[in-house]
Amino acid sequence: MENIKRFDLGNGINFTCIPNSKFKTIQLSICMFYPLEKETASQNAIIPNLLTHSCKKFPSLISLSKKMEELYGASVSAGTEKIGDMQMIEISAQSIDNKFVPDGSDNTFEITKLLCDMIFDPSTENERFKDENIELEKRQLKEEILAEMNDKKIFARKRCIEIMCKNEKFGINTLGETHDVDKIDAVSSFKAWRNLLSRSHIEIILVGSGAYAKIADEFKSKFKDINRTDVFEYYSEIIPAREVPAEITEQKNIVQCKLVLGFKIKNKYEKIDYPAMKVMNALLGGTPQSKLFVNVREKLSLCYYCSSRYLKQKKVMLIESGVEEKNIRKAKKQILEQIKDIKLGNFSDVDLENTKLFITQGLGKIGDSLSSIGSWYLAQSIEKNIISPEEHAEEINAVTREDVIRSANQIELDTVYTLSGKGE
Amino acid sequence: MNPKHVVSKSLGEEYYYLKHPSGLGIYIHPKKDYSSNYAILGTNFGSINNKFRLKNEKSFTEVPDGIAHYLEHKIFETPEGDAFSLFAKTGASANAYTSFEKTAFLFSCTDNFEKSLNILLDFVSSPYFTPENVEKERGIICQEIKMYEDSPDWKVFINLLGAMYKSHPINKDIAGSVESISKITPELLYKCYDSFYNLHNMTLCMVGNMDPDKIFTIVNKKLNYSMPVEVERYFPDEPHDVVKNYVSQNFDIKSSMFNLGFKENILPFHRATNEELVYTDIMLSYFSSPSSEMYNKLLNEGLINTATFSGEYLEGPGYASVIFSGESKDPEKTSEIIRDYMRKIHENGLDREAFERAKKAVYGRSLSVFNNVKNIANLTLEFDFSGKELFEYMYILQDATLEKVNNRLKKELDPNYSSLSVVKPYEK
Repeated sequence: MENIKRFDLGNGINFTCIPNSKFKTIQLSICMFYPLEKETASQNAIIPNLLTHSCKKFPSLISLSKKMEELYGASVSAGTEKIGDMQMIEISAQSIDNKFVPDGSDNTFEITKLLCDMIFDPSTENERFKDENIELEKRQLKEEILAEMNDKKIFARKRCIEIMCKNEKFGINTLGETHDVDKIDAVSSFKAWRNLLSRSHIEIILVGSGAYAKIADEFKSKFKDINRTDVFEYYSEIIPAREVPAEITEQKNIVQCKLVLGFKIKNKYEKIDYPAMKVMNALLGGTPQSKLFVNVREKLSLCYYCSSRYLKQKKVMLIESGVEEKNIRKAKKQILEQIKDIKLGNFSDVDLENTKLFITQGLGKIGDSLSSIGSWYLAQSIEKNIISPEEHAEEINAVTREDVIRSANQIELDTVYTLSGKGE
Repeated sequence: MNPKHVVSKSLGEEYYYLKHPSGLGIYIHPKKDYSSNYAILGTNFGSINNKFRLKNEKSFTEVPDGIAHYLEHKIFETPEGDAFSLFAKTGASANAYTSFEKTAFLFSCTDNFEKSLNILLDFVSSPYFTPENVEKERGIICQEIKMYEDSPDWKVFINLLGAMYKSHPINKDIAGSVESISKITPELLYKCYDSFYNLHNMTLCMVGNMDPDKIFTIVNKKLNYSMPVEVERYFPDEPHDVVKNYVSQNFDIKSSMFNLGFKENILPFHRATNEELVYTDIMLSYFSSPSSEMYNKLLNEGLINTATFSGEYLEGPGYASVIFSGESKDPEKTSEIIRDYMRKIHENGLDREAFERAKKAVYGRSLSVFNNVKNIANLTLEFDFSGKELFEYMYILQDATLEKVNNRLKKELDPNYSSLSVVKPYEK
C-alpha cells in the first residue's frame, strides 16, 4: 500500500486515495471532525441522516433509493462516532467497481456526484431543511438513542466511559440525549449543516480503483463555494486516573451481570509508547491466548467473555466481562491479578512473541478489506502521522519485554462499573 | 485424483474442488493479490440434529438440546492443551461457530498457513473428552446462554421460531438451555462425534493467496482413507400451520422490536435451490428497500426506522421462512400493514420497473461478497452443504425474469402462515 495519494484540498480538507484494483467494489467516505459538545452533539448527529435520505436532485427517500438501485445497489451509510474528544460525522458510499458495470458506464464517478449532491446540495429552501424531513429524522435519532440500551454489553461499556470521563468531552454521548433532539428544528439544522462544512476538519478517503484525480477535483470544486474559516483541528485531551478508583453499581432487569473496569494513565506528561501499549493490551486480554481468556475464562470458568481494549486517542483501557452476580468480586480480583502479573513481568518470552505474531498477522490482513483500509488511513490521517500497516508491524516487532512491563505500569484503575440484576 | 477447476470469467474468480478419497470435500479458491488466507472445516451437524441413528442401529438416539454447540466448545480441547495455544505458535486467529444446521472450525492468517492447516485438521480429528474437562466447560457455556437470555434481538428471533415451528427442532435455541446442557456427558459427546465428525460428512474450504497444487499435496499426505459412516437424521413432520400468530416477551429496554415470519411449506429435507434463493433475494431486496411503497408507508407512519428495518431468508433442512425485523413503537400495527401488503402483492405481483431495479441491486450486493476471503469461504461451505454451486447463483440472477420471481412469490409470504414475535419494555 505504498502508492497512496494525498491531496490537500485546502484549509483542513485532505483527500486520501488508496488505489487497489483487486476489489469488486469501491468505498468513498467523507468524515467531518467537530469538537464533541453537549450542546451540539444531537444537532450534528442528525445532519448525516438528513443528508443521505434526500437531496435537491432526488427530493424523496423513494427517488434517492431508486437512483442507488440503478447504480447496481450502491449504498450510502451515515454515522456518528466519537474519536477522542471529537465527534466524527461520516458519510460513506459503496458501489461496484467500473469493470463490473454491464453497460460500461463510469459508476464510480456517478456515485461521487451523487454523494456530492447529498452533502452540498440538500433538500433545503429559504435557509431551512424541510419540516417533514426534520420530523422524520428527529424521530429516528431519538429511537437510535433509546436503542442504545438494547445490548447490555455495549450499554455497560458506555456507562463506564460516561462515569470515568464525566467532566470530559469523551464522556458525552455522541448522539446526545433525547431531550436535545427535541430542540432541533429546520433552521437550526440548516445552520449546523453549513457550520460543519465550513468549520470541521475533513478527511475524504477513496479505497479501490477509480480516476482519483477527477474525484478529488469534484470535491475541490464543491468546496470552492464554502467559506472555510475558523477550522477546528483534531484534538483530544488526556486525563490521568483519579487517586481512588470510583466503584459504581447500577441495576437493570437482567440475568447476567456486566463488569467493566476502566483504566487511565498515571501521569499525563509521561510519554506513552503506543506499539508497546498495544502489545501489553493484547497480552492481557486481546487474544484467545491472553491472560484474561486463559485464566478468568478457561481456568476458572467464570465467564464466556473477558477481554480488554485500548483506546489510543484517549489513552484509556477497558476490560469487560459478563459474570454471575455472586462471582463479581472473584472475577474482579482475578482480572487485577493478571495486570499485576504483567507489571511484575510474570509472562514468558514465548507468550510475548506469540502475541506480537498475532498482532502483526492482524495488521497484514488490513489490506484485504476496503473498510479496514479506510479506517486505518483515517486514523493515521487525523494524527498526521501516516504509516502503513506494514510499518506499524515493524514497530510491534521491536517491542521488548521491558517496554511491555513499563506500559503496564503506566496505567491505573480509575473506574469499576457493575451492571447487576434486580434479583427478582 | 484431479480436482475440478471451476472458473467464472465474468466474476474474475475461480476455485478447485476435490472429493478426496478420505471422504472430505475440499475447495481451494485462490486470491492472488491478497495477503490473507482463510480456512474453514465444517461438519454437517448443527443444533437441529438432535435425533439420529447410524446405518446399523435399530433405534434413533435422542440427544439433549445444545449438544452440537457444546461439542464445538470441547473439540478445542486436546491432550496438549486447548487448540488456541497451538495456534498461538503460528499467529493464526482461530474460531468456531455452531448454527442450526452446521458446525465450523476456522482460522485466518497471513503466514504459516500450512502449519495452521495441520493444526486444524489434527484437533478436529482427535476428540479428547474427560469428565473433568466436560464439567469445566459447563460454567462457560452457562454464561454464554445467560448472555443470550439478556439479548432482546436474539430472543425476539428465537421466540419467533418457537411460534412458527411446532415439531421441527429449529424451534430450539442453538446453545440449548442451562437445564438441557446439564445432561450432557462425555459419552453423549463421543456418540455425536462418532456419528457426524467423519470426513464423509465434512467439507474444507480454503481461500487466499495459495498454490492449489501445494495445498492438495499437503492435505493428501495428511488424510487417510476412512470408511463412510452413514447417519440417518430424523425430523418430525412439520405442518404448514404456525403454532401461534403472536408471542411477546418483556425486557429492560426502551423501544420495542419485532420479527414477523412467513412460513413456507416445504418437504422435510428440502434445501432451497439457487433459483429459489435468487428469486427470493430479489423479492426481499424490493420489500426491504426504501424505494418500495410498503416501506414508505411504514416509515411515514412512524412505524419503522431506516437503521433497523430489514428482511432476510432463513432456510435449512426442512425449514424456510422470510423474516422481516426491526424496531417499532407499534409492532402489531406494523405487522398488519405488512400482511395486508403481502395480500395485495400476491394478487398483483411485483411491477416490472421495481423488479429490474431490485435485480441490479442484488447483483451489486452479491458481487461484493467476493471482496472478502472470509465471506467466500463461509458461502462456499454453506453452498456445499445445501447442494448448490457458488457461481451458478450469479448466472441465474442474470437470467432472472419478472415472471419467474412472481411465480416464486406464490409459494412465499402468505399471511395465513405467519407469526409475529415482539419484545417490549416492561410496563411502568
